[in-house]
This record gives sequence, structure tokens and C-alpha cells, in this order.
Amino acid sequence: MASHNLKTVIGFEFFRIIKKRRFWVTTLAIPAAVAIVFGLVIISGNSSSTTADAQKNARLAFQYTDASGLVTDALAGTFGGTRTSDNAEAIAAVRAGTLEAYFAFPADPAKQPIRVYGTDKGVFDNGRYEAVATQILVSAAQQKIDSPQLTAVTQGKVKTKSQTYKDGQVSGGIGVVIPPLLFLVIFYLCIIMLGNQMLSTTLEEKENRVTEMILTTLNPTTLIIGKVTALFMVGLVQMTVFALPVVTGYVFFRSKLSLPDVDLSTLSLQPGPMIVGALLLAGGFLLFTGTLVAIVEVVPTVKEAGTAFAPRMNMLLLPFEVACLS
Amino acid sequence: MSEPLVHIRNFRMDFGSQTVVRDLSFDVNAGETFGFLGSNGSGKTTTLRALLGIYQATAGTLHIAGKAFEPRDGVRLGYLPEERGLYKKESVLDVMVYFGMLKGLSRQGATSRSLAYLERVSLAAKASTRVDKLSGGQQQKIQLGVTIMNDPELLILDEPTQGFDPVNRRLLMDIIEDQKRSGATVIMVTHQMEEVERLCDRVILLKDGVAEAYGTIEDVQDLYGGTIIRLHHSGTLPASDLYDVTMAEHDYAELTPKAGTDETDILRDLVHQGVEVRSFTTARTSLEEIFIKVYGEQDLGENTLSEQNLPVGA
Repeated sequence: MASHNLKTVIGFEFFRIIKKRRFWVTTLAIPAAVAIVFGLVIISGNSSSTTADAQKNARLAFQYTDASGLVTDALAGTFGGTRTSDNAEAIAAVRAGTLEAYFAFPADPAKQPIRVYGTDKGVFDNGRYEAVATQILVSAAQQKIDSPQLTAVTQGKVKTKSQTYKDGQVSGGIGVVIPPLLFLVIFYLCIIMLGNQMLSTTLEEKENRVTEMILTTLNPTTLIIGKVTALFMVGLVQMTVFALPVVTGYVFFRSKLSLPDVDLSTLSLQPGPMIVGALLLAGGFLLFTGTLVAIVEVVPTVKEAGTAFAPRMNMLLLPFEVACLS
Repeated sequence: MSEPLVHIRNFRMDFGSQTVVRDLSFDVNAGETFGFLGSNGSGKTTTLRALLGIYQATAGTLHIAGKAFEPRDGVRLGYLPEERGLYKKESVLDVMVYFGMLKGLSRQGATSRSLAYLERVSLAAKASTRVDKLSGGQQQKIQLGVTIMNDPELLILDEPTQGFDPVNRRLLMDIIEDQKRSGATVIMVTHQMEEVERLCDRVILLKDGVAEAYGTIEDVQDLYGGTIIRLHHSGTLPASDLYDVTMAEHDYAELTPKAGTDETDILRDLVHQGVEVRSFTTARTSLEEIFIKVYGEQDLGENTLSEQNLPVGA
């Protein structure tokens, strides 16, 4: 009989929230915003990429001087450049509009900037001078190294895979810590997204004066468990809706969105930390629910409950605030 | 004799230093309709709440069917509390079905019973309307429907017709009478004495947390005067050892016979003393008169005023 009542409470509480138009408006607002941001990123990414490629490969009528000794005449020639020895004359020609651009490659490109002078082509097209000058220097360095692997290494494009041991056993490192931390993430998501809703729904019987009728019909523990379970289910629906555009973006548009490649194989689900994480989640959730019920017990309306609830929410977030400030 | 359905012995309820009910004892038998009467603050609602486990009694025994009340464990209960309320943002049908299911009905059963009840109280068209869009009286009808959804064996009604117009009051009394006919035991708190006289088999009168009277309506009427004589006359009404004059206005008077005096002796005495008697009728003292006598004009005035401020049923 208790399970019949529990199912009835869960069903009533879950569907009454899910059926409301306001719930879907607020829930769908976040994925809609994420989708819009992703769309803008993809569109602007395509545009920037095309522009950068065009700019890098653009041919200019320019002159240059090279104190580093890296740039060869042949390489500069492929970009449309000719060497000059008179930088003042070249700058004057650019200023007069008779020369498109002049690049002064420094003696130490790692520490000193490339001096770029060009005739104005508009806000967006002026960027191609720097793009071409940089590309010339990169190409010159690659020619000097004469090895794609070494070039990649010098650019820091290397991967690592770690294996650590503790007491003779493989210890997972950060890969062991991350999965239990997901319980913490779930806990904070629950209390941040559902805290106020939980407060108002547990106070509803009191505010609507249904308390006496409901308490002669079912056990108060069944009522609270049913309500919290229903809210948890609502939270899962919300999280699914929120995650949908992120997962879609990651799976289908990862390169276009410049999302990092996450290697899930490094994560290790070890029973000990996972059980501790799950227990902390359950204990934290019970403590949180108990606090809510205590607040509901002493205040008559949602408004007053909100006033009592806010400082406790802040206390829950205190560790993050301290971490951010330190 | 069978066990009473409700058994209360030496019940005492304190709130801090204030004692609201002191040493109250009474029984309600299965199948009877029991009137729970008293002025505001006399402890009626407190007693019901303690009986249902909403309050924890300071002392005493409060049993339903031989044990302390637990939801859904024992008799089927229908309780209409004094403090009225429903889930305001939900539709009428959703709320009724929810409570029906909590009382053990299937979804289908609860739906069909809800629709039948709505039809009976002329609210079928409001089934999908939000509760807060209904008038106060309509909401009270819904709440009574929720209360009787599971054909309760014990029906506890705390001022069920409070705030209703006469037409709807009669409709609700008919519904309660149907429950009584189908075998339900009814405990009813009300200030409407005609409802008590129409429905109740026995009553208890509470005053300042103690029982002032307890028994059948006839027992209570006997206790508080029993018979009243209504007299239309001309001439001066003389003093007499046979009766007390409880009211006198011009040519009308109400007399209460003294203990052991027969009404015909009074009539004979009046004629003998030269009073011209135009009409002479006897009646039992009404419960309303007893209520006024017990609680005083002030209490009745408070009750009447508070009811006028309540929403009127549709």
C-alpha cells in the first residue's frame, strides 16, 4: 500500500511540473541559447578559417629586409616579395601608396616583433599583412629544420600517456579522481537547479492548507520521499535537455567548434572512491532535504522560506567562493 | 454491546501553559451521526486533530476502531478539516483523482467517481478548470467530494456547510445524509443547529475544554429546560410557582415549567388568575436556544459574524 501511495505521489508531482508550459519555456531556453552560440561559432569559424587561409596564401607586392638570415629570396618570391636594403625608402613608398607593404624581419624573431608596414586595405583586409609576414617566417623556419616531426615538436604538438604506481599497484592518478567527482557535480546541479523548486513544493501543502487532508491520507515520510524523487526525475529531464545540444555539438561538430578531444579511456572506475562518492552524494542530499524540511516546518510561506534558504545555499557554495578568491 | 468506533477517554491537550481541552471522554458508536458542538475555541477542532494524530495528546486515550489512528491502516476515513485548501494550480479532476488514488482507488475508479460527483454538484463543466479559478463555495464542494471519494466508514466533517448559501447547504446535507444511509459513522462539527436536529443521533457540547452535555438530543433538551410554553394573552401575566417567565413582550410570553409541573396545571392556573389566553402551545427547547443559554449571546454573535464573512457557495 505504501508503494502504491509513493508511486501516486511521484506520478502526480512529476507530471504536474512536466505538463506546465512555463517549465518547458525555461528548460528549453538554455539549449536554445547553446545552439545559437554553437551556430554562431561554426559560422564565424568557417568565415575566419577561409579568411585566414586566403590571407596566408595571398600574394602581395612587398619588399622586405631580413636581419635574422632565415628568409630566402626564393621563399619570399613565392609570396610576391623582393629584398631591399633601404628600409626608409621602402617605408616612404608604402606611405606614398606606390608599394603595398614592407616587412622588417628582426635579428631574433623569438624576442623581437616583425615590423609590418602596409597601405590601408580596410579593417578586415589589413590583417593579411601580418598573416603573410608570419607565414613567411614559419615557412623559413620549417625549411631550416627540414623535418615535419621536429617542426611539430618545436610547436609543442606532443601527446603523453602516464602510468603511476602505488604500493606496487597501478594507481589511476587523475583518472581515478574524476569519476567520483561526478557525484559532486550531480549534487551541486541538483541543489542549484532544483533547490528553490524543492523548497516550494515541500511547502505547498502548508501554504495551500492541504496539510491536514494529506496527512490523514498518507504517511508524511512517503509524501516527502515522493516529492523529492519526482523532483530528481524532473532534474534528470532538465539535464538531458541541457546536455543534448552539447553532446550533439561534441559528436558531430567537434572540429568546427574547436572542442578539446576528451580521452575517456584514461578514466578509471575504482569501487572504493566510487562508493565513497555515491555515499557522499546520498548523505549530502539527505542533509539538504532535511534542512529543507526543517525550514518548511518553521515558516508559513514560500517567500519567508526563500529568505531562510538563501544563506544556506550560499554556505553550500562557500568552498568554491573561497577557492576562487584564494 | 459492540465496541464504539471512536473511543476517547480522559483526553487532555495543553499548548504551552494553556489547557485547551481537559479530561474529555466520549464514545461514538458505529453507524451513528454524532454532533460535536461548542463555541469558537472550545476545543472541538483540537480534539479531532488529536484523534487523527495531527496533534499529539498531552494525556488520555484516543482510539478509532480500537487503536490510535494511522493513515490507511484500519477504517476507511474521510476527513474534511476546518482549514480548507486544495492544490490551487491543478485542475479539479486531477486533484480529485490524486486524492482518490491516495485513498486506494485505481486511476480509472477515481476518475469515474470524480466525474459522477461533479455531475451531482453541478460542476461537471469545471472538471478541467484550475481549482483557483473556482469560487470559494465551489472549492468547498470539491473538497467534500474528495472527502467522501472512498466511501468512508468514518466521516469526520469540521463545519461542512460553513459559508454555503441555503440551496447548496441543503445539497451538501443531502450528500452527507446519503453517506449516513449507506452505513457511515459521521462526526460533525457545526454551528448550524437545524443541521444537528436533522441529522444527529447524539451530541456533545463542549465549553472551555470540558463536556457541558453529552447524549441524545432529547437528553440535552431535557437537561436544559425540556419543554417551553409559548403563550399569547391579554392582561398582566402574574408571577407563579409553577413556571419561570423566560421571555415577555406585550401580549406574548415564553414560560418554562418548573420541575415536576404539568403543562395543563399551568394553563388551569393562568385561567384561574384571570389571564385571557388566546393561544397556548408547548414545544421542546430548540438546540439553538440551548446553545444560546450555554454559550451566551456573545458567542452566537461571533459565530454569525464570522460566517457572514466567508465566501458564499455558487
